[in-house]
Amino acid sequence: MRMKIFRWKAIGPLFLFLTIIAVLVVIFAEPVARDTTEEASTELLGTQVDVAKLDLRPRQSSVDLRGLQIADPFSLKRNLLEADQIRLKLNPQALAEKKLVIERLSLNGMRFGTARKTPARPVSGDGFAPKTLQSVRQWTEQFDVPLLSLTPIDTIRQLALDPTQLTTIREAQALVARTDSTRKALDQGFQQLAIRETLDSANGLVQRLSASDPKKLGLDGTRKAIESVRQTLRELDAAKKRLEGLERSTRTGVQLLSRGTQLLDRARQKDFAFAKSLLKLPSFSAPDIGSAFFGKVSIERFKEALYWAELAQKYMPPGLLPRPTPGPQRLRAAGHTVEFPKENEFPRFLLEQGLLGFTIGGTSAVQGAYSATVRGLTSTPTLYGRPTLITASRRAAASGIAAIDVDAVIDHVGTRTRDSASARLRGIELPSFAIPGLPFRVEPGRGSSSLDFSMKGGGAQLFGRWGVSSRRVNWAVDTTGRSMNDIERLVWRVVSGLSDLEVVAELSGSVSSPKLSVSSNLDKAIAQRLQAVMGEEVAKAERLVRAKVDSLVSDKVEPVKRQIAAVQAEASQRVQVEKQRLDQVEQQLQSELKRLTGGLVPGIELPEIKL
Amino acid sequence: MLALLKLIQSIIKTLHSDGTPGQVAAGIAIGSVLGLTPLMNLHNLVVFSLVVVLNVSFGGAMLGWAMFVPAGFLLDPVFHAVGVELLQAPSLRPLWTTWTNTPLIPYTSFNNTVVLGSFVGWIVLAVPIFFAARYGVARYRATVGERVRRSRLYKAVTASQAYNWYRMFRPS
Repeated sequence: MRMKIFRWKAIGPLFLFLTIIAVLVVIFAEPVARDTTEEASTELLGTQVDVAKLDLRPRQSSVDLRGLQIADPFSLKRNLLEADQIRLKLNPQALAEKKLVIERLSLNGMRFGTARKTPARPVSGDGFAPKTLQSVRQWTEQFDVPLLSLTPIDTIRQLALDPTQLTTIREAQALVARTDSTRKALDQGFQQLAIRETLDSANGLVQRLSASDPKKLGLDGTRKAIESVRQTLRELDAAKKRLEGLERSTRTGVQLLSRGTQLLDRARQKDFAFAKSLLKLPSFSAPDIGSAFFGKVSIERFKEALYWAELAQKYMPPGLLPRPTPGPQRLRAAGHTVEFPKENEFPRFLLEQGLLGFTIGGTSAVQGAYSATVRGLTSTPTLYGRPTLITASRRAAASGIAAIDVDAVIDHVGTRTRDSASARLRGIELPSFAIPGLPFRVEPGRGSSSLDFSMKGGGAQLFGRWGVSSRRVNWAVDTTGRSMNDIERLVWRVVSGLSDLEVVAELSGSVSSPKLSVSSNLDKAIAQRLQAVMGEEVAKAERLVRAKVDSLVSDKVEPVKRQIAAVQAEASQRVQVEKQRLDQVEQQLQSELKRLTGGLVPGIELPEIKL
Repeated sequence: MLALLKLIQSIIKTLHSDGTPGQVAAGIAIGSVLGLTPLMNLHNLVVFSLVVVLNVSFGGAMLGWAMFVPAGFLLDPVFHAVGVELLQAPSLRPLWTTWTNTPLIPYTSFNNTVVLGSFVGWIVLAVPIFFAARYGVARYRATVGERVRRSRLYKAVTASQAYNWYRMFRPS
């Protein structure tokens, strides 16, 4: 009997099975899609994303999201963004290729900075976003923002300095060891030169020749004597070269030791600064005061900008090379999913055009309707061929606010990426912030704020500028638990009398080596007042610090310097002495050679000796 | 529970009388892909449809699935390595690029290292699985099969009404 290949009677149950699957998909697609959206967005952005409702509209190939909340990764009690309704018009052809191409995105009822009912969950794990968040936090720690110390001078008369804490002493000890090893190396070098043996042999030859008469030596004897002289001169030449080599290496070693003494001087300056920091002397430097007052709050602004720029770098890489990303989470191993972009095809993700309408509620001057556009936000910028543009603006001539302008360009089309964003807000209620290390709080009130940020070459070049300007600043003092000391009261008198505030913080350098400079209109005023009142006292304290450090390090540093000078002198002297001895014996040999060849014996070529 | 019972019934019945050893072995070989590759992918729906439509042992396919699930978990690192090699091979890049940009194919997740590696692993193993299973079923039936058939447990299991539903997919 011929066996059948197909089981036709099973077609019906199979169709039924597929129908059941289709029904299940229809029933569960929306909740599953909602959960997947929340999960994937949270993973991508590194902050909790909630979607209240998701409606699939297959006929219009669109998706409606309601109640979107994106928590602020830097402040889990508030939302970065909240939107009542979002409609995504998808490209069905791209969807068939498992790609998300949003032809049009419209957001309504968008709000920023709203308080959350429940704090967001911090996103943890090995995802890129949590790691970036962590690395950005670590990045902020590398800034050396000084605290403005306003400890009264009276309390700092006693300086307890532990010598082991001083860099100079450690450096001096290390230099002693290096000096000893240089001296040993010098001794060994002289021994290895074997100059004494060469000199003894040469002197012996000179004595033998001086005692002999060339006329009695005969032709053969004279030839042999001349050959001996030539051989010894060659040995002298080689000894001289060895001596020159030793001289060079000795010079290098001695130079290193000299550099070590310079490092000792620098270490002493560092120790002065360290000892001064123990006394917590107030700084009169205006840049220090600017950094102490506004450095921390400036870094916070740049930190947030850097976080989003780093995410853009990761999710919008340039080029069309295949790129692996972690696979989906499942019971089985996730593996890697590799994307293979192709020219003239859809990228994996593209937001062609997003129209965002948002409102800022309340009775503040900034309340009202705003509009924003996003164009060309894509996972493969090279494929899209144009930079991503984000703009947001509001014009309201009648209200107290003049304008809000936000512009951002993410240009990852070429290999040299450029990300830049600028935000200008005028007439807004600026958030208050505390002055680190002091019981003061600034309430800038209504004013203007601007932030410019740009990152080129994936962080090779960084630029940031954050500015705050206000004409109605209020200062608050918080003396809970303690009372202000005299210096704090002095600074308080200076700042509380100022109603204008102008702060400019600038970030430069690279991500790996950033530089921050902060200036404000308070810096000079505070510096001058502190200088006038405490200048003499601080100068006296600084002299005390210097004397204390000098007393601790001098007996360690001076012997080392003397030792180094002795090694230097000894090395130079020994080389000169050996050179002279070699020159002397060489001259004697030359004169003996002249004497031997004075009879002009034919057939004897005089040696060419270069010394 | 009912599903599990039905699965046990089908496996036991398969080993004894449903289809020739070749049909059972073909079922096991095809079903093994469900265990070796991550389940929730489009290609597995196609494989399941084939198991239903082709005249192979359905029970054998379920047996193959159950048997190869642990193997799939154990071999994931190997599959990942194979997938990485294949997806990174410059000579295959045009193929992957074409498939990525072809409708429906991306839903098979072929561009995932574990999925591709395990699927290729199954292609390599399918023929040895088939021959090994055919030999194993034949030997079972010739040796302990008859004793099991006479056992009370076997009679109890095969007498269950739940088994009747399964008979629809019994190979002819």
